[in-house]
Amino acid sequence: METSSPAAFVNGALLRRYIGQKVRAVVQVIRSDIGSVIGKSTDEQQIVIKGSPNQPLTIYLEVIGIAETENTIRAEVWTNFGDSFDAQNYNELCKLANGEFRHLFI
Amino acid sequence: MFSSSQFEPNSAFSGGGFMSSQPSQAYESSSSTAKNREFQGLVPVTVKQITECFQSGAEKSGLVINGISLTNVSLVGLVCDKDDSKVTEVRFILDDGTGRIDCKRWVNEAFDAGEMESVQDGTYVRLNGHLKTFQGKTQLLVFSVRPIIDFNEVTFHYIECIHFYSQNSESQGQQVGDATQSQIANSSVNTTFQGGSNTNQATPLNPVVSSQNNDGNGRKNLDDMILDYLKQPACTARQQGIHIDEIAQQLKIPKNKLEGVIQSLEGDGLIYSTIDEYHFKHVEL
Repeated sequence: METSSPAAFVNGALLRRYIGQKVRAVVQVIRSDIGSVIGKSTDEQQIVIKGSPNQPLTIYLEVIGIAETENTIRAEVWTNFGDSFDAQNYNELCKLANGEFRHLFI
Repeated sequence: MFSSSQFEPNSAFSGGGFMSSQPSQAYESSSSTAKNREFQGLVPVTVKQITECFQSGAEKSGLVINGISLTNVSLVGLVCDKDDSKVTEVRFILDDGTGRIDCKRWVNEAFDAGEMESVQDGTYVRLNGHLKTFQGKTQLLVFSVRPIIDFNEVTFHYIECIHFYSQNSESQGQQVGDATQSQIANSSVNTTFQGGSNTNQATPLNPVVSSQNNDGNGRKNLDDMILDYLKQPACTARQQGIHIDEIAQQLKIPKNKLEGVIQSLEGDGLIYSTIDEYHFKHVEL
C-alpha cells in the first residue's frame, strides 16, 4: 500500500499549479483529432488532451496523466464518464480538494 | 437556525440511491456528544486517509480517523493488477487517485464469482470492505464490489469523504466558524452549489449537495474568509502585511487549517507574502 503518484483533481484554472505532476480531470469532449482530444474543463476552459483513447469516447471523459502546460495534459488513463455528468459538482469538488480539504487527497 | 437536527444524515444519504448494499443508517448524528468508538458503520474514505492514520496511529488501537475507529470502509476507485489465479480468492489493487491499497475478496459462492467477473482492470468500482492490518501492511478485505455506472457517484464519493471528515472534526469540539453562523443568510457555500442543484433535476446527488450547504454551520469557505479579512482597509494599509498567526487569531481558525489554503491563494495570485513567508497582503489590482 503506497501513496506514490497521487493525482490531483484539477479544472482549467487549477491545472497550472501542477505542471509536471500527475493530475486527473473530467472534460467534455469538443473535438477528437489524431493524437489529441480537445476538451472543455468543468470550469469552461479549453484543455488539450494528448494521446489516443483506446475506445470510442462518450461526452464526458476523465483523464489521468501528467500536466504538460497550463492547458495540456498528456493522458495515461482514459475513462469514459458517460453522457450525463454533473460538471458543476465536480468543479466544486476540485476546489475543495485543492483548498481546505487538500490533506485528504494529496 | 442551522441546528444539526435539521440535517438528517440517514435520509439524505439513503435518498442518494448509491448506498445500495450497505445501509448508511449507522452514521452517528453529529449532535451526539457520546463519541461512539465502536462505530461499525461504513465510513467513506480515500486511500490517503487510510495511509495517514495507519502511519500515525498505534497498531494496538487500530486505525482511527477523527476518533472513530475504522473497521468498515467504502471506497471508489480503479481496479488494477487483478489476480484471480487462485480459485477461492481474488486479489487486486484499488487506485483511487489518492493512493493504492491491496484488496482481497474471498470467492466462495457463485454470486461472489459472478460479481468479480464484471470487475476488470481499469474498471471504476465502489468497494465496501473491512480494513485489516497484516504483517505491517494494511489490506482491505472486500465484501462488496460493484462497477460504477453513473459516474456522478465518483464525485459523490469524494464529497461524502469530505463531508464525513468535516462533520467529525466539528463534533470534536473545533468550533470553527461558529462566529460567522449568525451572518449566514446567503453564504458563499450556498451560492456555489445553487446553480448545480437548480439545473440538474435528475441527479440523485441533489439531496446530498444541498444538505451540505445547510449542514452544521453553513460557514463561508476559508478562502473567502481569509480574503475578506485581508481586504479590509485596516489590513491593506499595513505595509508589512498580516502575520498568519494574527489571521488565525482573528478568524478563530487553527493555524494548521489556514496554511494549506493560504498556499493555494498565493498560488492563484490573490495574496502575496511580504516581509517574510508568514506575512501576507491581498493583491490589489
